[in-house]
Amino acid sequence: MTTVLNFATMRRQLQAGCAAVVLGVAALGAPVFAQDVTTIKVLNWQPGGPEYWAALVAAFEAENPDIKVALETVPFDRYPEVQGPYITTKSGPDVMENNGGLELFDRRSAYLALPPEVMAAGDDLITHSGGCLNFDPTQACYGLPFGYQGNVMYYNKAVLTEAGLDAANPPTTWDEMDAACKAVQAIGKTCLAHGMTGVFPAYWNFPEIARNYLTEDDMRAILAGDMPWTDPKMISILEAMASIGERGWINSNSPSISMLPDGADIFSSGNAAFASTIIADAVNWQAFGTALGDENVGAMRWPMLVPDAPLAKSFSGVESSVFGVSSWTDKQEASLKFVKFIAGVENGNLLTSLGGGIALNKNVDPNLIPKSQALAQIREIIKTPTLHVGVLLSGQEADALGRGWQEVTLGRLSVADWAARLQIALEESPGKN
Amino acid sequence: MSSPDIVTPRAASIAPKKRRGLLRPNTLLIIALVLPGLLLAVLFKLVPLIRAFWLSLLQTRGFEEPTFAWFANYQSMLRDPVFAQSFKNAAMVFVTLPVWIFLPLVIALLLFQRTPGWKLFRAVYFLPYMIAPVVVGIMFRQILSPEGPLNAFLIGIGLGPLAIEWLNGPTSALFSLTAVALWAFFGLGVLTYLSGLATVPQDVVEAARLDGAGFWRLLVSIAMPLIKPVIGYWTVLCMSSMLIWMFPLIYALTRGGPGSATMLPEYLVFITTFEFLNRGKGAAIGMALFVFAALVSAFVVRRMYLEGKGRSS
Repeated sequence: MTTVLNFATMRRQLQAGCAAVVLGVAALGAPVFAQDVTTIKVLNWQPGGPEYWAALVAAFEAENPDIKVALETVPFDRYPEVQGPYITTKSGPDVMENNGGLELFDRRSAYLALPPEVMAAGDDLITHSGGCLNFDPTQACYGLPFGYQGNVMYYNKAVLTEAGLDAANPPTTWDEMDAACKAVQAIGKTCLAHGMTGVFPAYWNFPEIARNYLTEDDMRAILAGDMPWTDPKMISILEAMASIGERGWINSNSPSISMLPDGADIFSSGNAAFASTIIADAVNWQAFGTALGDENVGAMRWPMLVPDAPLAKSFSGVESSVFGVSSWTDKQEASLKFVKFIAGVENGNLLTSLGGGIALNKNVDPNLIPKSQALAQIREIIKTPTLHVGVLLSGQEADALGRGWQEVTLGRLSVADWAARLQIALEESPGKN
Repeated sequence: MSSPDIVTPRAASIAPKKRRGLLRPNTLLIIALVLPGLLLAVLFKLVPLIRAFWLSLLQTRGFEEPTFAWFANYQSMLRDPVFAQSFKNAAMVFVTLPVWIFLPLVIALLLFQRTPGWKLFRAVYFLPYMIAPVVVGIMFRQILSPEGPLNAFLIGIGLGPLAIEWLNGPTSALFSLTAVALWAFFGLGVLTYLSGLATVPQDVVEAARLDGAGFWRLLVSIAMPLIKPVIGYWTVLCMSSMLIWMFPLIYALTRGGPGSATMLPEYLVFITTFEFLNRGKGAAIGMALFVFAALVSAFVVRRMYLEGKGRSS
């Protein structure tokens, strides 16, 4: 009798225990299902590098526990061929990176016009017009930026000193540059490390010379397709670009090498006095400082051709890229939150400390700004911004500009014929006709 | 009494039925074997081709909705000097076709003859084909640079005047691109020819040698006639490579430059479509490339067919 009673008791105890376990497991699982996580796909070319992007995603997800970010990272030079099919099929990523300017204009049908509550984040940015129609924030805007981009001329103080030049006062005018180049060549080094393959070298350098001849209204006319390439102002710009090769400033193989990495390698190896390239996202002041020593690297505007031109002492700046929400997404709310976060101060701090970029957000912690002489000079240069006329060119124009520059430098094409080709390219450009 | 030669009505009615019964399974089998391949060809070749042709008739402005424009894209294409340049460049590449055809054949015959070290050379010649074309392009960009190893070697052996800027010249750039492509692809040619030579009867080869045939006689009089179909196949493959498979090398090595010196039609399709956002014109250029490739390939295939027919007759 006692044995039977004990067994019954044990059975009841076991049943109670099992029930408790089941309830406990159910309780643990409930929060997971209750959260209802939304996953958004972000197409990007990872400016600033993977470490920065890992931190960015982690910070955003920590701030928004109900949203998960799935990155689709594509190398920059393959980005159009990946993004294009998404746009034509109206499917794919929920958020997409894009260059500002005409590239965004051509793809605007793929993006939502950002609502005012998201655009309010733009008030904390140095500029955000690159994501807007006609670079006008009062018109429809399709993306918000986070980093600043543009072109400067880096210089190697050690090489300048070796050439007998004053490294503390690099050339500021075209004639001074010409004299400096002669001195540098005399010691057997390249003056301006340069590479021309692809469209980007022309795309970057064209604005540096254009500031000497164009006003901002002229630049907007270029955007609208109303400035013919045969205009005397444009001819002057092309002639100046052509003279760089004629004067022997650049390495002779420039027409057949890339600026990144080939041209940059020439500068990084200490074999050139100057290099013209971008200020962020790719090889820039940070890499050059590491290679040559921070104390040897400086940054300056391109030398001036017309010192009293209104924009000669300006900086041709542009948002490094913008992020917008795809017009086809069914996750608008989460996607808009991500775009807003991109423009925010937290991301600006991450970009500054991890991404090696120059944040557009005005409220970035100054203590996070890296100690670099070249960067300090860049930060001074960018305080007087103007439009970046390179991003106002169509794909056809940029290609004709780049290829023409190669041929002009090799002596196979005249400036007049180059201008004629560019005019044809303009006429063939969708979005400008 | 019935004659054994007379066919009775019953026997006459059985024979046709039996024949029909025998044909039906064979017919079904033939259809079953041919249909999958045919479907694949239609779905992945013919349908995209038709769609591309349709796209070439549309005016596309970026990502705006396209509009029907008849042959406007073709007119634009023909006005484009870069289009003409790209086909001129393709023609110049074609001029090197004999090298593409016969160099691998010579190497293959040397290997076939068990030339000392043939196993090592067979592996060495095939190795370049195993390297990704983009990697080949990046590698040769360094090799062909003015301060690269090729020029250093030429200077070292006293041929300094030949140490030019290979990728800068109006013809040397295209020549360099073609040479790199040949370096990358010819290993496949060697392998293809070795497969063909494996079908050559050894007794024929031995008989020729006994009759005093040297290497070149063996090549011209024995190998080439006996493996004509393989030569034809490789020729078509080379032409396809020149027209369709050069893209990764162009992309990594020259980007079609300097200027348009190394622009080929396939690369022009790419930049027109993705950089200029002109899908209609890109499709038109693609159609022109297709027609060009089809005509050239058809010529070779037709010759192969006629030769085959001539042998049988």
